[in-house]
Amino acid sequence: MNSGTLNLDRQRRKNRWYCDTLVPQQEAILKGHTVATSSCKKYMLWIDGVGAWQLCVGQSFIIGAPSFEKQSADIALLANISRMHASIERNGEEWRLTAHQPTTVSGRTIDQDTALCSGDEIRLAERVRLGFRIPSILSTSAIIDFESDHRPSHSVDGVILLADHCLLGPRRDHHIFCTRWSEVVVLFSNGGKLRCRSKAALSVDGKIAGDSFDLKHGCVVTGEELRFRVEQME
Amino acid sequence: MKFTFAPEARPLDGYTIKRAVHRGGFGEVYYALSDAGKEVALKLLNNNLDIELRGVRQCLNLKHANLVTIFDIRQDADDDHWVIMEFVSGRGLYEVLQDYPGGMPLDEVLFWLGGIAAGLRFLHDRGIVHRDLKPANVFQDPGGVKIGDIGLSKYISESRRSAQTQSVGTVYYMAPEVAKGRYGREVDVYAMGIMLYEMITGKVPFDGQTTAEILMKHLTAEPDLSCLPEEIRPVLSAALEKDPDSRTSSIEELERQFCQSVATADTAAPVPLVTSAPQAAAKSVEHPRAMASETEVENDIESAPAAPVGVAALVAFWNVIPAPLQWVTGGAVALLILESGMWHSVAVGGMIGGVAYLGYQLMSVFVGEPFRAKSASPAMAATGSAVSARHQRTVSPAADSPVRSHPVPPRPAARNTRQRVYTPATLRKIAKAHRATDVSTSIAVSLAASALVTAAVFLTTNLLKDSAQAVYFAAVTMLAAWALIIPSKIWEGRSGDSFTRRLCLASLGLGVGFVAAVLPEYLLIGDDALFDGSHRGAPVLVGRVAVADGTGFPTVACFMMFFAALFFARRWWWQVDSFRKARFRVSSALFTLVVGVVITGMLKGFSFPEALGATWALAISAVVQLSAGWTPAEDRRLSSAPPPAADQAGPMSVDPQRPVAKAEQASFN
Repeated sequence: MNSGTLNLDRQRRKNRWYCDTLVPQQEAILKGHTVATSSCKKYMLWIDGVGAWQLCVGQSFIIGAPSFEKQSADIALLANISRMHASIERNGEEWRLTAHQPTTVSGRTIDQDTALCSGDEIRLAERVRLGFRIPSILSTSAIIDFESDHRPSHSVDGVILLADHCLLGPRRDHHIFCTRWSEVVVLFSNGGKLRCRSKAALSVDGKIAGDSFDLKHGCVVTGEELRFRVEQME
Repeated sequence: MKFTFAPEARPLDGYTIKRAVHRGGFGEVYYALSDAGKEVALKLLNNNLDIELRGVRQCLNLKHANLVTIFDIRQDADDDHWVIMEFVSGRGLYEVLQDYPGGMPLDEVLFWLGGIAAGLRFLHDRGIVHRDLKPANVFQDPGGVKIGDIGLSKYISESRRSAQTQSVGTVYYMAPEVAKGRYGREVDVYAMGIMLYEMITGKVPFDGQTTAEILMKHLTAEPDLSCLPEEIRPVLSAALEKDPDSRTSSIEELERQFCQSVATADTAAPVPLVTSAPQAAAKSVEHPRAMASETEVENDIESAPAAPVGVAALVAFWNVIPAPLQWVTGGAVALLILESGMWHSVAVGGMIGGVAYLGYQLMSVFVGEPFRAKSASPAMAATGSAVSARHQRTVSPAADSPVRSHPVPPRPAARNTRQRVYTPATLRKIAKAHRATDVSTSIAVSLAASALVTAAVFLTTNLLKDSAQAVYFAAVTMLAAWALIIPSKIWEGRSGDSFTRRLCLASLGLGVGFVAAVLPEYLLIGDDALFDGSHRGAPVLVGRVAVADGTGFPTVACFMMFFAALFFARRWWWQVDSFRKARFRVSSALFTLVVGVVITGMLKGFSFPEALGATWALAISAVVQLSAGWTPAEDRRLSSAPPPAADQAGPMSVDPQRPVAKAEQASFN
């Protein structure tokens, strides 16, 4: 009898925990994502005269509010949204958005998931608006623009979701538009490392670099008229 | 671009440089984080140190929502001076201007003007002149417009006012008296005038290959104001006056004048009517178009504006009838006119009305404008006061709310308090692509509309006997609709003389009339009862042209006269314009029918078939209204934005209330 009550209590406690947290049904999927994002690497690119860009390397990226206890969302916005509000995955050349909380894409309410096209507007919890675009036809990499006032805790001009490579250069269809640069700098991921390639003569931390080189945390890449620093985020 | 300090450098204790932002005229600017993570802009002063420091110290404790806040001035280990400032994350006006090479939408111009004027007013009020106002110094931020680089601002005091100071500032925006070392607040008014010019047209008024050339133009050349809207020219002419003493006296004055002229330009609002009668009369001479269209905003039957009280009452009554009832009544009246033998009475009535209207117009010309203002309906006075209230709001958009969480452009704020009246007379910018889409869509729809209208005519009247006649009727109606829609859509949003437009349409009417006269032979319906004007007699010749040949059938010239007169008599572009009151207005169609009856009545002597003419008038009006693109009142804006479906996400579109800006940016992605 006693042991039966205990079991019941235990079950109730379990249930209460379940009820109290009010986790939506996609919890299982969510956990999957959490595991998936651990493989997502985040970098900050501080580019002189251009701006600050966040570079995300991986297959799946979570958009949400910052968290202080658990792992924070990959794109953490200071906004009244859930900590895991939506996630974006890449499937080959296709980008898909999965909504865990109320989300619309270009005015369509998303129940489960949807394909994202360049030019879509992602709206999270009514007020947060993000732009999704694939600027270059040469690359699947996408850009997330902040269209409403909601930003990460520091000024970031946009987020690059790296698929194959990221182009920094003087044209509007480059991922990062660097007005005054004359050469294009390509960032790409190879064997889990972020690498850089350019026709311009570049040096890393003051040492002349070859055609292609690794970008380590904290390194400063300098060229004739360009300079940027790469920082790996926590 | 090379910068002195590398990322992660800590020239000042407590701040870590993350990246360089830009190099200004006075030094390098860096983005840095304090040890706790506060974002700041660090400005390293390298030359002109004394001027800069003196200016910055004056402004150190100024607080205003439209000014970039200065936190502190510090010295590093090398004794270099740093200004620690608020970091503004948004784009500069300089960058935004690059997105609009042909000029910004008016909403955007008013948004920037409101913010800059509020900031400058604050500075001027404290005896400080900015002196270096330029697009590169003005930023958009989630908190609104921010004016930066007030380090250059000078304290106005008599002793320093004409002191010999170094020529600074960007020459494009530099007032002529700066060459003499005179820096009053007029310098900022001048710079604001140049920026307004640049925002509207996309280019600066004084440009040149060298600094000296530009400076010389500031001193001697008159700005080319011809590319500005007519109403804005006097405002900018006064702001760009060479002599500072005769320039617009203050930034408030410039803002007030500009907002007022914009309101006059884009709503053709009766601004002078609410002031005083003599002013109104004087103004009406300058803006005959504005005056004409303003009356038509209020009157329902557009071509009979400012009619006597009896008609006004009728119009008011018509307006309160619910739409379905209007349709039923309109249909009944149309059928009554078309089917009964009321031709004569309607034609005579119409002619008398026409003569009375002409007399009235003549009288208003001789008696003057106050006569017209007095006879206007009370509703117009109400609109006038509402417009003036809107002006007051527009004039001080930021003054009453110094801290705002979102940049609220003055225009939408005004829209919340009262719906703006957008009419076909509203001047606006329409993108070429948008115009082309509008025309092609309208033409495509006109195909279906003319089929529909012809079917209605075929079913309700006995005019059309068989399918060949129906095809003929539909074809001519459609052609006429095209001849009206295409030029009207080209004129849409632009200013233009009504008479010239009517003449242009009338000449197109001649062409339509010719086709209408020739087509029956090809459709083998030439000698049909449809064309029987039943007025046989001697041929009427005007010169060598036979207007009537005496057979009882209308001649080619007669057809051409009918269509030319019909196209001339109505102000068709009001029926085509996207900003017309409703997509389909029964009253417009009915009035066109009456005009058609009157014209055929006049042409009766030349045996023009009355029934056909009147029905055509009605059908053309119906097709034109049904097919021409229309914007619902709530979607009306001063510049054409592509529909949301075609909308692409742009980078960093800051303000949700300004879809236009976003759409423009999209083209650069």
